Amino acid sequence: MIAQKGKKMVITGNATAAYGAMLCRPDVATSYPITPMSEVAEQLSAFRANGLMETEMVEVEGENSAMNVVAGASMAGGRTFTATSSWGLSFMYDAVQHAAGFRAPIVMVIANREAPGILAVSGGQQDIISVRDAGWIQIIVEEGQEILDTIIMAYRLAEDYDIQLPVMVNYDGFYLSYMATAIEIPEQTDVDHFLATLKEQPKRQVLEPGVALGCGTHGIEKGFVELRYRQCVAMERAAAKLDEIDREFGELFGRSYGGQIEEYRIDDADIVVVASGGVAGTAKVAVDTKREQGIKVGLIKLRLFRPFPRQRLVEALNGKKAIGVIDRSVGFGWDCGPMAMELRALTPEIGIVPILSYIDGLANLDITIPHIERAIDEVQSAALGKSYQEVTWIPLEE
Amino acid sequence: MTKQKKKPKIYDYFKETEDPYAGGVAWCPGCTLELTARFVPKVLGNDIILVGCPCCAAPVLYGQNLGTWHRLSYFSSLMTGVASSATGISRYYRKIGRDATVVCFTGDGCSADVGFQPLSGAAERNERIIYITYDNEGYMNTGYQRSSTTPMGASTSTTPAGTISHGKPTPAKNVPLLMAMQGAAYAATATLSHLDDFARKLTKARQKIKEGFVYIHVFSPCVMGWRIEADMSIQVCRMAVRTNYFPLWEAENGRFRLTHEVSSPKPVQEYLRLIRKFSHLKETEINEFQQMVDRKYAVIKRLCVTE
Repeated sequence: MIAQKGKKMVITGNATAAYGAMLCRPDVATSYPITPMSEVAEQLSAFRANGLMETEMVEVEGENSAMNVVAGASMAGGRTFTATSSWGLSFMYDAVQHAAGFRAPIVMVIANREAPGILAVSGGQQDIISVRDAGWIQIIVEEGQEILDTIIMAYRLAEDYDIQLPVMVNYDGFYLSYMATAIEIPEQTDVDHFLATLKEQPKRQVLEPGVALGCGTHGIEKGFVELRYRQCVAMERAAAKLDEIDREFGELFGRSYGGQIEEYRIDDADIVVVASGGVAGTAKVAVDTKREQGIKVGLIKLRLFRPFPRQRLVEALNGKKAIGVIDRSVGFGWDCGPMAMELRALTPEIGIVPILSYIDGLANLDITIPHIERAIDEVQSAALGKSYQEVTWIPLEE
Repeated sequence: MTKQKKKPKIYDYFKETEDPYAGGVAWCPGCTLELTARFVPKVLGNDIILVGCPCCAAPVLYGQNLGTWHRLSYFSSLMTGVASSATGISRYYRKIGRDATVVCFTGDGCSADVGFQPLSGAAERNERIIYITYDNEGYMNTGYQRSSTTPMGASTSTTPAGTISHGKPTPAKNVPLLMAMQGAAYAATATLSHLDDFARKLTKARQKIKEGFVYIHVFSPCVMGWRIEADMSIQVCRMAVRTNYFPLWEAENGRFRLTHEVSSPKPVQEYLRLIRKFSHLKETEINEFQQMVDRKYAVIKRLCVTE
């Protein structure tokens, strides 16, 4: 570790996100409130009001404008930041896709919340599932410090010359967003140092007054296909790049998170639980308990959801006898959770093993240690060749 | 021969800039949008950043794959995000201290309908952008559907005149007036038949964005959608002004002024009869239209200061 020890503060997840953004010195940021991320907007405005950052803050009149403002600023050459949640993300959906098509390196935090349809002012991951094909890199974090550190890493990823894609940093709304924990705020000089690498790469194409350069052409036939292909290739590159950035971050700051996935007691495990977000912390406790009881279980915390960390997952899951996947969202049209469905797509590479889908934690319901222990027992039983239930809606069976 | 002080001629406003557009662009013959699109950079300069969206201007401004018909710096936003994308660009330039003029250029479907919220938001935040609407009174690019600036009585593909329909049942939304009322640093109406007036307003716009938000509403007849002759579009502009259907005014920091007062306005029927989208209107409907024009003009007239 080379970085100085940062000041520790007890702050909420939302405030942590705002500190993370401030340390990256965005040129333009937007704020529009929505539960449970409003505090991010308030904090940034307070930083600005007190001269702690020089960012142009735009208090927009809706989320759609929030995304369009940062897309415009980004394509003019600026570093940008915004934050939203649930319906806010839905309201900016056209611009979310547009920004990814522009290859605008925006960083946006999302305090995950249930999506519209059934009115729910409560946590869940349905909002990010609904934009998984929008062309954004999606990272899901587990706890407070990881929010701050991942925002800093997200700029390295988004603005990397070989990537140039927008990044969503997701954390559990209501749980992480409001929970205050002790956070180490890195020194500004160290963050500047970590991001300085971006200045050494070739300059990406941006709008220039007086220069005949359009942003957003009308892709016709093969032209469209070529641009889409490049976008997809950049997305694929992001997976390995995140591992690299995470390693480098660890060398500088002494904290790293595994990059695409975090593997917990995986090496000698027979069965695996896959989870993302805050529930991964709970799952680690359940794994430890079950290990004591002699069940060789491990945990994979899915950090990167888009691009899907296929390679890393195949390596980690190879030879495992059964997998349980916990989803805090539903997959309409597939009778299982969305992440379970994506895990199933690895079957050609990891072989046919039971994959048990657990839907839990919708609408703020707690995913408790007993819930996960129960899942582990069932996955273990499936690994031993017993019959099993493919999909379990845990709250409905209690 | 002695030269007395003359009113500036239209070409006095032109910057010595090359026309940034190629010849033979994909706009319809007689299109007023094309002339407006060529005229704006003539006065504002070729170093503007143009922000647009899917609209009649898009096929030319967007370019296709790596080719375009123009040499301007162009940002293609969505219809929902023109004023806000322009905000982002303008704020970034402000942050780095760069002097650049950001100009939104959209049809009325964007500014009056689906893009109205960000337009209103940008005006309220007093963003340093120039927003130009070319108002062809409907969604002309998608096939002549009604928008909220379509006038009462107009037959469009979604308000067709029929056995029980007399065209659009409600009058148009007055976007330039709304922008002036929102406290824009400068709001104005303009059209191609009065080009010197238009040029003066563009010149003023360039000064006024140093203070804040600027909005210019350009009356732009559509030869295809309105069903007028291709060589009549400027004539239609002129008649719109002479009948007070489209009065030319400006509001500078809330101070209204008629920039071209018509001494004896013609009856609106002379305007309506040039345009076949109104051809179904009966005498009573034409009278109603006249009353609507009179009412709208009276509002502007009352707002304007007499000098």
